[in-house]
Amino acid sequence: MEGSGETAMHFAVTIIGKDKPGIVAGAAEVLYRLGCNIEDSSSTLLGGEFAMILIVSHEKPFSKTRLLEDFKSFGEAMQLSVFVRTLTQDEVHQEMPSGELCMVSVYGSDQPGIVFRVTKELAERNITISDMNTRLIGTPEEPVYVLMLEAVLPEGMDIKDVSHLLEKLKKELQVEIGVKSVTPVSL
Amino acid sequence: MAINDETRDLIRDLIDTMHAGPGSVGVAAPQIGATLRICVVDVSKSKLGRANNHGLLIMINPEILKREGAGVMREGCMSVPDYTGDVERAVEITVRFVDENGDVRQVEASGFEAVAIQHEIDHLDGILFLDRITSLKTGLFRRKKYK
Repeated sequence: MEGSGETAMHFAVTIIGKDKPGIVAGAAEVLYRLGCNIEDSSSTLLGGEFAMILIVSHEKPFSKTRLLEDFKSFGEAMQLSVFVRTLTQDEVHQEMPSGELCMVSVYGSDQPGIVFRVTKELAERNITISDMNTRLIGTPEEPVYVLMLEAVLPEGMDIKDVSHLLEKLKKELQVEIGVKSVTPVSL
Repeated sequence: MAINDETRDLIRDLIDTMHAGPGSVGVAAPQIGATLRICVVDVSKSKLGRANNHGLLIMINPEILKREGAGVMREGCMSVPDYTGDVERAVEITVRFVDENGDVRQVEASGFEAVAIQHEIDHLDGILFLDRITSLKTGLFRRKKYK
C-alpha cells in the first residue's frame, strides 16, 4: 500500500444494527460494486447487535457522499445505521506505537466504574489501548464482570510497571487483575 | 548418513536467511523455496531464549518424539509479515534429527526454543501458524444463555 495515500481517499465506516444473516455480505457487496478496498476491519456481535468497523479506500476522485448514497438502500433494507468519516492523510499514515504489548484482564464482582478506573490509570501513563472487550457473565444473582484489553506500552515501560500500577486498584475494587506480555515473537 | 554439497549449501542459505531476518530465530527450507525437510533454529541471541537453549540447531528430517504441556505465545513469521496470532504449543518436547555432520541427535527442548522448533517443523509439513490459531477470545466469552 506504499504511496496509496497520495492517490486514494480513505474512510472510516461504521455499520451497526440488529443481527441477521447477510449484513457482512451486503456491506461487502456495496463496497465491491463501488470499487472500494477494505484495508482493515473488525466486526463482532454485541448483545444481539452486529457491529462492523472498516477502513476503506478508493482511488480519487471519490466522495463520502457517493459512499453514503450507495449504502442507503442496503442500510434501509437491513435496518442498519451507517456512519462514514473521511480520514485525513495524517490519520492514514499514523503508525502504531512500537513498545511492548500487554494484555490486562480484570475479573470480579460487577460494580460501577471498573472500566473507567482501569483505563484511567492506563491513560494517565500514556498507555495506548489497541483492543478491548468487556462482558457481564455469571448469573443474575451473582453478576461477574470481565474486562480484557490489549495495550501498547510507551518506550521504557515494561509489564512489571503495569502490574505494579494496577496493584492498588486490585485491592480497592476487590477484583482480580492479571497482566501478561503478548509481545509477538518472530520465528 | 552422508551430507552432500547440495545439502550443505542449503544449510548455509538457511542460516544466512535466519541471520538476515530481524530477530528471526529459525528458518525452514520450504520458506526459501526448497522442498526438503531441513530447518535451522537458534534462540540463543533472543531475549526469551537466551537462558535456555542448545545454540544453533541444524535439523535434517526432524521428528518430535514427545510433547508435554501447553502454552500460548503470540507468534509472528517472516513468511506471513505484518500478522501475528496466539498459538498453543507444547512447552516441552523431545526432538530427534540428523545434524550437519550426519549424526543422529536427540534434544530435549523447553520454553521458547521448544516453540521455535515446533514452528519450524510445521513449515516442513506445510502448516503456518495461521492454521493453528485458536479463537480463544470468542470461546471464552461466548455469551451463555440462562433460562
